Amino acid sequence: MRVNPDPYPDLLAAVAQTQQEIQTDEQEIASGQSVNLPSDNPAAAAELVRNADQASQDDQFQRSIGSIQGEMQDADSALNSVTAALQQAISLGTEGANGTLNASDRQAIVVQVQGIQTQLIALANLSYQGNYVFAGTATQTVPYVLDPSSSSGVNYQGNTGVNKVTLGSNFSLQTNLPGSQLFSSGTGMFQAVQDLITGLQTGDTASIGTAVNELSSASQSVDSQAVFYGNGLSQLTSQQTYLSTETTELDQQETTVAGADLPAVISNLTTAQTSLEASLEAIGQTANTNLFEYLK
Amino acid sequence: MSSLNASLATALSGLIAEQGALAATTNNVANVNTPGYSREQAVLVASDPVVVDPLTFGTGVTLQSVESVRDPILESQIQQQTQAQGQYSTLSAALQQTQTNFTASTGDIGTSISNFFDSINQLSTDPSDLSLRQGVLTAAGSVATAFNTTADALTQQQGSLDLSVVQQVGQINQLTQQIASLNGQVASLQNVGENAGTFIDQRQQAIDQLSALVDVSVIPSDTTLTLTTANGAPLVTGLKSFQLTAETNAAGLHDVYSQGNDITSQITSGQLGGTLQARDSEIPQTQIQLDTLAAGLANAVNGVQAGGFDLNGNPGTALFNPPAVSGVGAAADLSVAITDPSLIAASSDGTSGSNGNAEAMYALNSQPVVGGQSPTDYYSGIVFNVGNDAANASTEQSASALVLQQLNDQRASISGVSLDEEAANMVQYQDAYSASAQVITTINDMMYAAIQMPTLTG
Repeated sequence: MRVNPDPYPDLLAAVAQTQQEIQTDEQEIASGQSVNLPSDNPAAAAELVRNADQASQDDQFQRSIGSIQGEMQDADSALNSVTAALQQAISLGTEGANGTLNASDRQAIVVQVQGIQTQLIALANLSYQGNYVFAGTATQTVPYVLDPSSSSGVNYQGNTGVNKVTLGSNFSLQTNLPGSQLFSSGTGMFQAVQDLITGLQTGDTASIGTAVNELSSASQSVDSQAVFYGNGLSQLTSQQTYLSTETTELDQQETTVAGADLPAVISNLTTAQTSLEASLEAIGQTANTNLFEYLK
Repeated sequence: MSSLNASLATALSGLIAEQGALAATTNNVANVNTPGYSREQAVLVASDPVVVDPLTFGTGVTLQSVESVRDPILESQIQQQTQAQGQYSTLSAALQQTQTNFTASTGDIGTSISNFFDSINQLSTDPSDLSLRQGVLTAAGSVATAFNTTADALTQQQGSLDLSVVQQVGQINQLTQQIASLNGQVASLQNVGENAGTFIDQRQQAIDQLSALVDVSVIPSDTTLTLTTANGAPLVTGLKSFQLTAETNAAGLHDVYSQGNDITSQITSGQLGGTLQARDSEIPQTQIQLDTLAAGLANAVNGVQAGGFDLNGNPGTALFNPPAVSGVGAAADLSVAITDPSLIAASSDGTSGSNGNAEAMYALNSQPVVGGQSPTDYYSGIVFNVGNDAANASTEQSASALVLQQLNDQRASISGVSLDEEAANMVQYQDAYSASAQVITTINDMMYAAIQMPTLTG
């Protein structure tokens, strides 16, 4: 059978193809990726897009958690101070309920309680990076201002709004409690403090006793509400851990989907190089072998 | 009765025939590297015998013809495969270029969409913060830029493919002219019974080149060829070639016309077919998907904006300039409508500290707002489609290249010049020539002997 007398086109095609393989292998080794263009593996390329988006979201959730943590920690410690101040007011009330005190003694206590009132207003007006933490969503409005015309001595100017922030694919966290809920539910701590001041000023021990009870329940109320921040902070910590794990998993997934299988690629590369050398050798050998050479 | 003179003539016919055969060999050797050349073969036949009753004498050899060795069926297979190869290599090259716009980078559409939603999530932690609001605006600007850049790149590529269409039409016209003229040369030689092999080779070479450009259908007749496109638009009939023209259409691109008819959509093969497929089908398909994504995202974000309140407590206005209702050009035209960061409607209750609407906007990233998919999922679908089309075209191209290579091997095994064979032929013809020459010498001696013979009448 007659064969193709010109082997060069086939040999050159083989050389070109082998060089292409070598280039692909080298690219994979250099980038560490088996998917450098969508056509390398369309399904994997699409998965990488979604994977990168998820990784980007997770990084952002970590940053958002960092931003929220500071505010919630400040709120938590402010509420601890509120409870401490209320305890102090309770002690002063118990002291003022003693019938042996005279008016000037009670007035001295009134001054101390008024100091606590000021401290409580300051704590309730806690601001974090320019935002009032306990004003609901009216974070640019001072939540509590002194108001002698009000029975509680203060006026709440915030609202009852709460914010929730998404911090995971299936996780969002309420990040604030409004002052109205924290400090003014039931009788409310400001009403209790104002009642104590009024009782001390009038010297009515029964009223003082009632005010102390009010303070005690207000303190319990704040305490129980403060759990919200404590819980929130610990949820943030566990979410951070979860997100780190997920980020690691996404990294691994990316490697599985698109990472170059280096041993395999290097082995391919070696094979391709050998094959290239063989093809080139063949081209060299083919030269000058025809019958004319022998007819001299 | 045979005579010395007759023998001399017979020996001479050998000399002439072997010379002719050697000429064919020489021509083969000379054309060993000529593309498209088909080897020639000397066809030697015994001359008609002379009957001198009761004997029959041979009268030598005739070089009947010099024939080019070729297989017409193989040629037509090669043409078809050349068309496929032209189509897929052009399409593959175009799609390789297209997909570079969809590789992961810091500025690609997918990343910019992720960053946009990330910036909204960050804003959600402190909705009144102006720098975070600015961050959202900047990210929205990057989304618009990513869409604009990609859409522009596709339009530019479409433009350069359009230029290729015009150039390819020009090349087709040049080749059909050439083929028509070769038809004439082949016919004029064949009409007088000569071997038109060289011109047929050249014509075949031109048809192969034409096949690489467009889907050609070859209808052979006695001496000339008729060429049409696969759908019957005439290209060459006998000595006449029919020019294709490229005419600008409403979209500013060129349509291909034959004899006043728009045949653009009928051209499916060859480089022109591949170019048209990339220009009119693949790129527009990707453009539509990009527009759908851009419009879907912009409309969804604007919709949420309208449901919330900005930093000043006013109802939100559009964040992106609203895309055309049809969606056409949405990606190319996407732009941010506001420059004042306080206008981002993060609040759901009108207070500056509310993040309810920012959360609603963030939620869009997992909602089916674009063609029933989330923006990122839809984008990943585009990446898949673009990659898949490029991979398919590349596979088809490799496959057709392989088949074409095999067919070319087969053609070369039939028509290619083998130097070994030619060397052997040369030796063979040379030996035969020498032998005939020796016969002539011998006849000469015999003639001389006859002349020197003493006369009987002496």
